[in-house]
Amino acid sequence: MSTALSHPPLLPLAGEGKVRGIFRMFRMSRAFWLILPGLLLTALVIGLPILILIWTAFHEVSRFGVLLSFNGFANFADVFADPLFYAALLRTIVWTAAVVLGTLLLSLPVALILNEDFAGRGFARLLILLPWSVSLTMTAVVWRWALNGQSGLFNHLLLQLGIIDTPIEWLGTAPLAFMVQIAIAILVSIPFTVTLLLGGLSSIAGDVYEAGAVDGATGWKSFRHITLPLLKPFVNIAIVLNVIYIFNSFPIIWVLTQGGPADGTDILVTYLYKLAFKFGQLGKASVVSLMMFAVLLVFTVVYAALQMRREET
Amino acid sequence: MGLFTRSRPIRSLLCWLLLAPLIALNLFPFAVMLSTALRPRDEIFINPQRWLPSRLAVENFSDMWTSVDYGTAVLNSLYVAVASVALVLLVGIPSAYALSRYDFRWKRKYQLFLLITQMVSPIVLALGLFRLFVWLGWIDSLDPVAIVVAAFNLAFSVMMLFNYFSTIPRDIEEAAWIDGASATASLIRIFLPLALPALSVTAMFTFVEVWNEFVITLTLVRSSEHFTLPLEVHALASNLYELKWHHIMAAVLVATLPVTALFMWLQRYLVGGMAAGAVK
Repeated sequence: MSTALSHPPLLPLAGEGKVRGIFRMFRMSRAFWLILPGLLLTALVIGLPILILIWTAFHEVSRFGVLLSFNGFANFADVFADPLFYAALLRTIVWTAAVVLGTLLLSLPVALILNEDFAGRGFARLLILLPWSVSLTMTAVVWRWALNGQSGLFNHLLLQLGIIDTPIEWLGTAPLAFMVQIAIAILVSIPFTVTLLLGGLSSIAGDVYEAGAVDGATGWKSFRHITLPLLKPFVNIAIVLNVIYIFNSFPIIWVLTQGGPADGTDILVTYLYKLAFKFGQLGKASVVSLMMFAVLLVFTVVYAALQMRREET
Repeated sequence: MGLFTRSRPIRSLLCWLLLAPLIALNLFPFAVMLSTALRPRDEIFINPQRWLPSRLAVENFSDMWTSVDYGTAVLNSLYVAVASVALVLLVGIPSAYALSRYDFRWKRKYQLFLLITQMVSPIVLALGLFRLFVWLGWIDSLDPVAIVVAAFNLAFSVMMLFNYFSTIPRDIEEAAWIDGASATASLIRIFLPLALPALSVTAMFTFVEVWNEFVITLTLVRSSEHFTLPLEVHALASNLYELKWHHIMAAVLVATLPVTALFMWLQRYLVGGMAAGAVK
């Protein structure tokens, strides 16, 4: 690689024609070698498990993970005959919808406020982003202790503030525990969403507002007719990304209740983890994994389509 | 854009007041950690509860540290994080460089492929990963954890590096070639030093992600001598016989504060750079 000819031409600059012939081939192969390590790593670590899951899903599997005979769609039938699956599926939909919407409704005003010019804005942004830095596992562990019915500091705080007058067993019953988990999930999703929306807000040039003001659009009008439409692509992307993250989110529910009490807070991911690593129902677990993977693939395609539409405009 | 009022002091007050409830909720877990980690053992399960302990029980940290061999967990976390970050950079830099500098036929497809790997959550593949590494006879070790975590973090790093790489003008490399440097040499000697800030920011973000990783480690690691910090804390909080919350909160603080400090310092790159990285 010492002669000048071996230097790969770079992307043709605007206006230049495409480089052809041997240069083009060489260029391709060089790019290929450059991306090969990344391709191999992800293809092996993410591709192989999917193949294994497909293979397992069509076999009868012993409790100890030994593949027995091919059994067609029997594992699929098992999953669809399991009432816990439907309960977890329904709860996953509620969970995803509630957390994504709640996050968006809170993040929008927060991002708008942080986009204002006010004293100590940098510090305020720091405090808003704070939960992002803590591992979800740790956050959930802290909340589990804080929500303790008798000695938890959350009840203590609410009692001090006079919001409640008797301690509440937050994690004692499934419906309440699930609502608490949704609230915590919203809280930890706000930083990412605010960051995304702030990026969008900062891309709106100031003169758009000045032009709007000339035409009489100020305050609410300028928000409704200028900010919101220009922010819409970012809102869309925030929704899709959050749907993906929340749909997959495991530690909050796992650490707080392990899907209990009485499977009452299970969503698909905790149901899946129990099937695989607690109940040893590997065939069923593979089927659930594959279904979730298919759903994620659809979300990803939607996201990619949104991205391309944004790039075109 | 002047949503509220023209007077800056009043606007500042208004902004802070509106943000106050959320900020309070964000600070609350930290208050719980501190308040619990610093109280004597017999002031944990008390009713009525209080915020301030009768004395500062700093011995909780050393007691916790020795009773659960926390140093090992810290070292395990460091090992996985450093190994993953190294692997992510080693594999991610060439990928990002190719994406930003070359026009090749599979470019779009490779980007979509990376996007899919970013969207797939480890939890969906947990069983497949477990069976893969059992089959390889490579279970209950930190090396496969580092490799898997690196693979799941690659897409984010490549996208982030790609965004920065695209801002580095290509004339500089071309000038180096004309001066007779080989492509590889110009990449290493000219390009990478220019990209150093981007590399370090990407490395640190990956570090925080890996440091906080839970599901993959939970799936691939069995014995407690290989526990990373989140796993150790999870194990402490899953103890069926006795929940030593003063120890658990001390453990959480030790695991969290350094990374939180690092993240707080990094977040300015996040708002400026990653918003673009996530969206573009």
